Amino acid sequence: MNEVGRKTLFWRGLTGSVEQRKRYNKLITEADSEISAFLEINPESGASLLRKNSESQTSSPLSGLPFGVKDNIAVEKFQLTCGSKILNSFVSPYSATAVSRLLAAGAVPVGKANMDEFGMGSSTENSAYKTTVNPWDHAKVPGGSSGGSAAAVAAGLVPFALGSDTGGSVRQPAAFCGTYGLKPTYGSVSRYGLVAYASSLECVGVLADSVEMTKNVFTVIGGKDPMDQTSSNGSVNSADAAAQPYTIGVLSKTEGLDPAVAEAYGETIEQMKLLGWKIREISLNTQEYVVPAYYTIATAEASANLARYTGIRYGMREKDITDHENMVRLTRENGFGDEVKLRILLGTYVLRSGFQDQYYVRAQKIRTLIRNEINTLFTKVDMILMPVFPTQAFRFGSQEMTPYQQKLADKYTVTANLAGIPSLSFPTGLKSGLPVGLQLMAPDFCESRLFDAAGVLSGGRSIQLAPGAMSAGEVS
Amino acid sequence: MALFQTFVGLEIHIHLLTKTKVFCGCKSAYGDKPNTNICPVCLGYPGVLPAVNKEALKMSYMVGTALNCELSPHTLFERKNYFYPDMTKNYQISQFSDPVGVNGWFEFETDGGIKRIRIHDVHLEEDAGKMIHDGNRTLLDYNRAGTSLLEIVTEPDFSTSEEAENFLQSFQRMVRYLGVCDGNMEEGSLRCDANISINKTGKGLGTKVEIKNLNSSRFVRKALQYEYKRQAKTIKNGGKIVQETRLWIEEKQKTRSMRTKETAHDYRYFPEPDIPPFVPDEMFMQSVNDSMVELPFVRKQRLQKAYSLTEEFAVFITEDKFRADFFEAVISAGAGAGTGTGTGTGTAVTGTPAPAAIAAIAATAAKWLKGETVKQLGRRNLELSDSPLSPIRFFSLMKMLSDGTIHANIARQLLELTLDQDEDPEILLERDVLAGSDDDAEIAEIIDSVLSNNPEAAVQIQEGNTKAVGFLMGQVMKASQGSADPKTVRILLMEKLTNKK
Ligand SMILES: [Zn+2]
Repeated sequence: MNEVGRKTLFWRGLTGSVEQRKRYNKLITEADSEISAFLEINPESGASLLRKNSESQTSSPLSGLPFGVKDNIAVEKFQLTCGSKILNSFVSPYSATAVSRLLAAGAVPVGKANMDEFGMGSSTENSAYKTTVNPWDHAKVPGGSSGGSAAAVAAGLVPFALGSDTGGSVRQPAAFCGTYGLKPTYGSVSRYGLVAYASSLECVGVLADSVEMTKNVFTVIGGKDPMDQTSSNGSVNSADAAAQPYTIGVLSKTEGLDPAVAEAYGETIEQMKLLGWKIREISLNTQEYVVPAYYTIATAEASANLARYTGIRYGMREKDITDHENMVRLTRENGFGDEVKLRILLGTYVLRSGFQDQYYVRAQKIRTLIRNEINTLFTKVDMILMPVFPTQAFRFGSQEMTPYQQKLADKYTVTANLAGIPSLSFPTGLKSGLPVGLQLMAPDFCESRLFDAAGVLSGGRSIQLAPGAMSAGEVS
Repeated sequence: MALFQTFVGLEIHIHLLTKTKVFCGCKSAYGDKPNTNICPVCLGYPGVLPAVNKEALKMSYMVGTALNCELSPHTLFERKNYFYPDMTKNYQISQFSDPVGVNGWFEFETDGGIKRIRIHDVHLEEDAGKMIHDGNRTLLDYNRAGTSLLEIVTEPDFSTSEEAENFLQSFQRMVRYLGVCDGNMEEGSLRCDANISINKTGKGLGTKVEIKNLNSSRFVRKALQYEYKRQAKTIKNGGKIVQETRLWIEEKQKTRSMRTKETAHDYRYFPEPDIPPFVPDEMFMQSVNDSMVELPFVRKQRLQKAYSLTEEFAVFITEDKFRADFFEAVISAGAGAGTGTGTGTGTAVTGTPAPAAIAAIAATAAKWLKGETVKQLGRRNLELSDSPLSPIRFFSLMKMLSDGTIHANIARQLLELTLDQDEDPEILLERDVLAGSDDDAEIAEIIDSVLSNNPEAAVQIQEGNTKAVGFLMGQVMKASQGSADPKTVRILLMEKLTNKK
């Protein structure tokens, strides 16, 4: 039996019966007490959703597998806080399309993963609830905003987890924790049930312990959904002509990268050359503009998306206030964290009448330029190899990186969100005991190319789990 | 020349008659129990997305077509941002830069002849919920939240309040004809805001004042008249008009200030990222065109010309689409029955006058529809559309009448019998009118007097004591000296008793 088959049996053995789920619940709860990846753990509740779904297939490779869900993706009867106090104790009355499709494939949602409030952050430190640590080094951040999802996979609590990627929020924590992290093509996975931060940029993404798993999950959750009119069957129907040996575009200049990341970048290029792939140096002229364009568009959309949290119909509400305006004002003042408030204010500012041309409209024009540049590049190369983040996982408390530096460091990830293209973050091994991840970007709807390339680079092996991870050895 | 010139524009909101709301699958209905037609989408729950209703788009393009607009080949939804308790997302999905239709026009009749006004734009949006103030608390009903609302904005082309009122009535008829809105202003399915500016003649537009809370076309006229007087007086006294929004207070017959321009919102419009621009394809436009109908004003002119109808009859017939369809079906029944030499509708379509025989039927039909039919339907609380009177039945009635088979009294009786018994007039004539020795009216008179002489018996029957029926029947038979048909007596008697309830 191959590695994947053995692993599948292992996970199925954990969630098959009530007794098994009880034992799994105990195991995952104990293991999570070390890293705080989850805000809620409830395998039994997840299994009850599965039972409700009578059409679940047992033939799916995901059947019986437990999975984690970032707490900004709706799972019926589970909490949906988005890491924010303003949605404290809010329980979702419905499930996201991605979750429903996983349920239909027989997979079991077991818990809600910690995150930066509403997806705003790169370290999961902006969660109103918990501090998730990097399973490789508990003094370091797991990355963000899908830090809980990445940590849960790296620590072996689940074989995969759903995350969301607005500007790198799946790929960066995947790189920090040493897992795979897929940001699909915009529209190839339904956003229905993903709590909106920046609607035109974000996607439901996958964090997983192998290329195979990433691909299987993507195949299940992808495809057009009538509930999301921006979704499409592009990736389902794509007949990708590109094949090995691939032509890979690599950055001619990589200054600003930490030595460990630069080294990994060079080593991966060498590995590709050994595989007979062609390496072409490229430069991205728009790269200096991606971060300002990204923050302008993301915050503008966020200012509208987050307007619904007023305490009137759900979530936190300030008590004993008798007028609407003050109730909304105080609820939002006390319910949102500082980073969220900052971005709402920024977004409101860039959309003001008289200022739109200067900010929002200009950012949209830059976005078009970025997309054009990327599309032109893809006429010359099959994929682009990029760093995910200039550093490895950093320490808590912004000692190494201020929030402003963290934003600037998004420059390698936000390109894919602005252009809408798919990108896969993959682990390249450890440097000084910490993982380094890189990303491959492909043209629209060419996820299969990413899986193929990453599969070759991985030699068919799953990720290395963090020290002390929950493992097969602990379960008999 | 008048001292002042008036410029009036209207902003009309119509609730589209879509089965479901504009961005979710909830039922779109008026008057249901509060918060029963709601779901995560229209409640603005975290994570939900709008999915635009194709039917709403189709109806919007129909209205755009009827208003002679340039229709958008890629209409765009945008977010209009403002906080309000009845807005579940605190932004409204609306249209701004690329609405369904722009630069249209509409012609309608006024006392001074045909008037054409320009349409600025037609755009589709979602409605908000409803706030119900109850003592010191406010309740929210979200049944209306997310229902499809179409806004029509006119240019300030009306120069009198009467014109605005006439337009609104024509517009109301038009949307009813298209079947896109029931046009009911009292229930709020058609809402209208007006804006008015006045200025010394020849000086162009003045300072614009908006008026809200206009729940009928009459209010629109009265509010505009009031505003004209108020503004003219202000200007004559050397004052300045403030740009503001005012409310019409019907009880006081005046407007009062609601907010001035300084407190106006910055709506921060931006494209709705959740809905791709809608690009109508050929099939969609075909279905829009297939659903278009001849509009009331055009139809009125055609019918008037084809059948030499008087203004009064033409207005009456085309006021309601069902009635106009009924009328034309009566005529074509006539053509089918070989009454005339030409085909009724065929000649009508070309607009050339119909042959004399058909014209005669048309004139009689118009007269009888407007007079006796409306009266008898009203008595029975029936609408023409749900009554047993079909165009064929009505035609045979008209034919018997115009060829002298029956006279007006019998025709009236037959009309009533048709409505009551759901039977063809020819059969009723044979069975109930010619066969019976007395006509129903006579029996009815006898029953009335018997009932008024025996009120206790009537009460007993209504309380369920059927024995008294026999007693009353006997009294009626006795009074008619045995000549009445017992079956008819029983029917009429029971009818009177149930109507009395
Ligand atoms: Zn709904």
